Amino acid sequence: MAEKKISRRSLLGLDLNRSYNTSNLNPEWPTPKVASIYKKYLQEKLPVYQPDPTIEIPKKLNIPQSNRSLPRVDWNEAAAAHLLKRILPAPRYEEIQLISQQSLDEALAQILEDQPLPEPPGSWVTEAPPEWDTLSEDEILALLDTYNERMFSLIDWWIMRMTQTPVSITESMALFWHDHFATSHSKVFYPQAMFEQNQVIREHGLGNFKTLLRKITFGPAMMIWLDTHGSKKRHPNENFGRELLELFTLGVDNYTQEDIEEASRAFTGYVTNGLLTNYDFNTQVGWGVWWDDWHDFDEKTFLGQTGNWTGDEIINIILEQSETSLFLCEKIYKWYVYETVDENIVSEMANILVENDYEIRPVLEFLFSTEYFYDSALRGSKIRNPISVIQGTVRQFDLSESTFPDQFFLQIYHFLGMLPLEPPDVSGWAGYRTWINSISLPIRKLLSTSFIDGNSPLGQLDDTIDVIAFANSMYNPDESQFASVQMVRKCSLLLFGVPLSETMEADLLSVLLDGAEPYDWFINAPENNGQWNRFRDMLRFMMKKPEFQLS
Amino acid sequence: MKRRDFIKSSIALSLLGKQVPLFAYNRAKYTLQRSTQWDTDRIVVLIKLNGGNDGLNTIIPTNNDVYYEKRPNLAINPSDTIMISDEMGFHPSMSPVISLYQNEKMGIIHGVGYPDPNLSHFRSSDIWVTGSNSNEHWNTGWLGRLFQLEYPDFPDNSPEFPLAIQFKSANLLEFQMDGTNAGNMVFDPEVMYQIVTGNYVPSDNDPPPQTAGGDELSFIREVDLNTFEYSGIIYDSAINGTTTVDYPNSNISTQLALTSKLISGGLNTPVYRLSQSGYDTHANQLGTHAELLSDVCEAVQAFITDMENQGLQDRVLVMTTSEFGRRVEDNYSNGTDHGTSGPMMIFGSQAQSGFFGNQPDLSNLDQNENLLNQFDFRQLYSTLITDWFGLSQDVAETVFQSPFETIPFIRSPLSTIKPIPVASTFKIEPAFPNPFNPATQIRYHLPKKSSVTIRVLDGKGCELKSYLQGVLQEGDHTFILQGNDLSSGLYFLQVESGGNALTQKVTLLK
Repeated sequence: MAEKKISRRSLLGLDLNRSYNTSNLNPEWPTPKVASIYKKYLQEKLPVYQPDPTIEIPKKLNIPQSNRSLPRVDWNEAAAAHLLKRILPAPRYEEIQLISQQSLDEALAQILEDQPLPEPPGSWVTEAPPEWDTLSEDEILALLDTYNERMFSLIDWWIMRMTQTPVSITESMALFWHDHFATSHSKVFYPQAMFEQNQVIREHGLGNFKTLLRKITFGPAMMIWLDTHGSKKRHPNENFGRELLELFTLGVDNYTQEDIEEASRAFTGYVTNGLLTNYDFNTQVGWGVWWDDWHDFDEKTFLGQTGNWTGDEIINIILEQSETSLFLCEKIYKWYVYETVDENIVSEMANILVENDYEIRPVLEFLFSTEYFYDSALRGSKIRNPISVIQGTVRQFDLSESTFPDQFFLQIYHFLGMLPLEPPDVSGWAGYRTWINSISLPIRKLLSTSFIDGNSPLGQLDDTIDVIAFANSMYNPDESQFASVQMVRKCSLLLFGVPLSETMEADLLSVLLDGAEPYDWFINAPENNGQWNRFRDMLRFMMKKPEFQLS
Repeated sequence: MKRRDFIKSSIALSLLGKQVPLFAYNRAKYTLQRSTQWDTDRIVVLIKLNGGNDGLNTIIPTNNDVYYEKRPNLAINPSDTIMISDEMGFHPSMSPVISLYQNEKMGIIHGVGYPDPNLSHFRSSDIWVTGSNSNEHWNTGWLGRLFQLEYPDFPDNSPEFPLAIQFKSANLLEFQMDGTNAGNMVFDPEVMYQIVTGNYVPSDNDPPPQTAGGDELSFIREVDLNTFEYSGIIYDSAINGTTTVDYPNSNISTQLALTSKLISGGLNTPVYRLSQSGYDTHANQLGTHAELLSDVCEAVQAFITDMENQGLQDRVLVMTTSEFGRRVEDNYSNGTDHGTSGPMMIFGSQAQSGFFGNQPDLSNLDQNENLLNQFDFRQLYSTLITDWFGLSQDVAETVFQSPFETIPFIRSPLSTIKPIPVASTFKIEPAFPNPFNPATQIRYHLPKKSSVTIRVLDGKGCELKSYLQGVLQEGDHTFILQGNDLSSGLYFLQVESGGNALTQKVTLLK
């Protein structure tokens, strides 16, 4: 029998978080006919990643050995860099300088300030769903194309918000809440529903968790995503009830299967068309014939409390539980500090959350003011997520106004497993060490370094890193060190999570100088001077180092 | 040769012109001695049916009224199933594996779960991959611990091949060892080889700081070095390997096709973990479930054929797993909610064919209206450790922190030293094959010398035949039932010894 060749395309179809999970689609949403057309449509829509790598021989190095102790903790450039690396994809040098020159209180006030809501990606965000039954198959397919483009433009829009963000925690918290209430566009189907959810986490991400939870729960996206839409009394769907308790509030093992069933009874009778719902935020109940016919008005016993609970009342009971504040603060801690939680800090955060009636901002204000947060033991202890690595590089090297090949970032995040609006499942991204493995690590290096020479596996880039401008943004003629030494130290402050060791400093200098002396490297060297290529070599070298993956 | 020595002498020298320095910072030193040489070339391919496969709509209890009462919207009619006995049938989408079943290359283990089941996907998956009890939270995987026992100095001193290959991009807890992970993710070996070697910068002896940041740095350096070292052998295997059948166009097929290539190319990795997503069928289950079963069955059938064409059939066993089964009763979204135990399937020339355990009892459910389990999943894994990989019972017991009785689903078990029975009791093992034609055998164990009578009863319990075995010695004995003069149907095989009788249900299919 002849050998069957496995094509690259078929290999790329492997489950690397890049293919749409079409098997969890609801085959009746928005109508059975549209669902069946849509499923086939999505299956053919897989973004394909075709790397065209070139083999580079790593430079030969001659590196001495040494040890080095950690620097002292204080509010200084290093501490400011630590804070900014945790709340931005990656900071620029001048941002670190500006923040470090303010007091910590001033800096936090700026970072935690509300940002104005951005312009939506299009007027379609409030477009009513069509009468599907009146459309032909061709018309449906055309509309699916439109929806697909809108969804992509929404993702691109968000990625650009993250890249162009001022020094503010808003985008990072929006991503945190998206990871927390992880919702996938492929099942939700309507881009306007995904936009609505994004508005909610943006508007309330630093505000009140009660409001946020209610807006998410009764928003069209969540109602579709976890099957609250259409759940009826007597045999309610348990999907939302379970994840509400397990993933959104109490955490696993803090409730029983009966609690899930009773909660699910309360979340019946709520429906949506993808844009509007039958939930009234003023009366906090549903309305209309679905509510009357499908909602379970009978008595339920949830977490020991008995009554004719509605969905809202279930949420109120959940928020009375101390487990909820602890669970939330543990997640915030893991997002901003480290994977192994410190119980003292987390319980203090939880106290502050409850004392402030579930306002989120005071919790962050507390966390970022503690000496603990800046402890040297925690520097570089966060493994960067793909958005931090890629968008961080774009932001850090001032490429955020550049244009990129069509669907450039969408394909990268499909590939690296962190496409916004398409998390792997309702538990969000597993994060931490799962980001790094034998596929993702080399691909991260390949993609980061492609911003230096412009040869990306996804197409030629219009702009590459302007190394002269970048060097000048860091250089300070008033400092006593040679420009070369300044470059090495400031680049590692920006690009490496852990403090620069003497060995590493020597390594970097030897790449940058390539045999020359430290005083031979000039900040004012002309563009065609070979020393700028050495500078590019050093950036490439740094991006290939494990230290680059930490913040 | 030690793997790192090998690497140093070949790839590193030729590519870099210098040695790759070794890292040994913060690495736990294991005190456990290697108990057995892992010297078999057997391979297990584990496929996770991700989301919780609905066992009752996989192996359908066609003559069970409770099933049809509780699933008004989802039950599969007997006429639609592929009947394999008078009481059960396969889901119609499983037709691709019927030939495997008929040729005795497929076994089904009913009711696999664990005590005090947890209905959360994430918790239940963790229990399955760590092998803990449901009230324990372990942070290493059962395979990670197994590898660690066999290769205590991993990754400094480890085999020349990756211990485990996976096709999911996240690191799997199942392969998590103490401080390092044995899983290697693979997609396109040729492209990856180029990317990996082109982007590797050798590290110096630059100790990471003694901080949390330093711990994470050590972890990433470890992955970096491992990736660099293993990309070569995976690449070689993939270009030397071949496939001999046309694999269907599905995700799980692509995973199996690449698995076949790597095995065929000589990669000695003992464990492959594949997965197929989408089994969390809360709503509108029928079509989705049918497609999923169809995809996985087509893929497995192609893979087993491919292995046979290449003469690899006795080295490779396929086993499905799933974090739980689903609720007996369907929900009003035309789906099923999270359940407990479910059937696991094994495929291959070395899979003992037939059924282990019984169809689940639908009238005897737990407090959440879920199925009771018949086998613990750790029994399956213990069987893989001992009977498939030929490691001792002690190893399996160390991995799971307690002994689990094996299930005889490996045709030629490698385990040579049988464990000494702790408390010897009179017992019988499930008949094989079952259903049967023309003959089936049943093994029984006598705690002491005694006389034995074996009877064949019909479905109503009336005695049809009686075989006097006489006085037998203490120990294991086998009885073979010839079905030549019986007609198709259900029978009870009863073994009586010293006033005790044990009975086993068998089905003759003519």
